Amino acid sequence: MADQADFERDAMQYAPQLYTAALRMARNPADAEDLVQETFLKAYRAYHTFQAGTNLKAWLYRILTNTYINKYRKESRRPSEVDLGELEDMYLYRRIGSEHSAASARSAEDAVLEGLVEADVKKAVESLPEVFRLPVLLADLEGFSYKEIAEILDIPIGTVMSRLHRGRKALQKALWEFAQRRGLLPDEVADE
Amino acid sequence: MSDRCDEALANLYLYLDSELDRVSSDRIRAHLADCPPCDGVFRFEHRLKIVVRERLREEVPPHVIAKIRAALETAHETEI
Repeated sequence: MADQADFERDAMQYAPQLYTAALRMARNPADAEDLVQETFLKAYRAYHTFQAGTNLKAWLYRILTNTYINKYRKESRRPSEVDLGELEDMYLYRRIGSEHSAASARSAEDAVLEGLVEADVKKAVESLPEVFRLPVLLADLEGFSYKEIAEILDIPIGTVMSRLHRGRKALQKALWEFAQRRGLLPDEVADE
Repeated sequence: MSDRCDEALANLYLYLDSELDRVSSDRIRAHLADCPPCDGVFRFEHRLKIVVRERLREEVPPHVIAKIRAALETAHETEI
C-alpha cells in the first residue's frame, strides 16, 4: 500500500513524460492537458491501491491510456478494421537502399535520419491508427518492455509484438513519404 | 544471405528492444561483427529508434504542471 501523502513527491517526476505521451495520443494540446490532469487526479485517488515498490511509471501509464481510450479517443475500437496493407519489413531502410548504389546508400541514410524534423516525426506517429500508435509510443518513446506494454494495454504479449511490428512499418512508410516530400534524398533517387 | 543472417534479421527488433536473453544477444552481436550487410541494417534501425524518440520529446509548459498541482491540492482539501 502506498501513502496518498507521498503521491505528489513520487508521481510528479513523471508529469513531463506523461504529457508528451498524452500529446501524441490526443493529438492536440488542450485535450492533452485535460488528459494528463485527469490521469493525475485518478492516480491520486487510487494511490492507496498502488503496491509500493512496484512499477509506478507503468501504473501511471496504464491510467493514462485507459483514460484516453475511454474518453478521448475518436476512432473505431476494432483493430480488425484497420488495414495498413502489406508493408515490407525494414521499409525505410529498403526504400533508401533500393534506390541507391551501396556506395551512396550510407550518405542517403544520413540525409534521411538527419533531415527529418520534429514536426515530421510527430505527424508520422500521429498518422498511425491508435491500435498501433499506442504500442509504438510506449516502446519507442518510453522504452517500456513488451511485458510492461502488455500490462498497460491489457493485451497479450504476442499482440503487443505484432502491433508493434506492424506499427513500426507503417511509421517508416510515413517517414519515407516525409523524406521524399522534403527532398531529403540525393538527386539520383528523387525522381522515383 | 546465410541462416545466420536470417536468424539475426528475424530477431532485429527483439534485439534492439532488449528483449532477448544474453546468449541470443551475444550470438547476434558476433554475427554483426562478421557481416557488414546485417550490421548496416541494425545500425540504421538503431539510429532510427533514437531519432524517433528524440524528436518526439516535448517541453511540458509550466502552466500544465501548475494545473496538475492545483488540481491535486483541491482534491486533497476536499477530502479533509
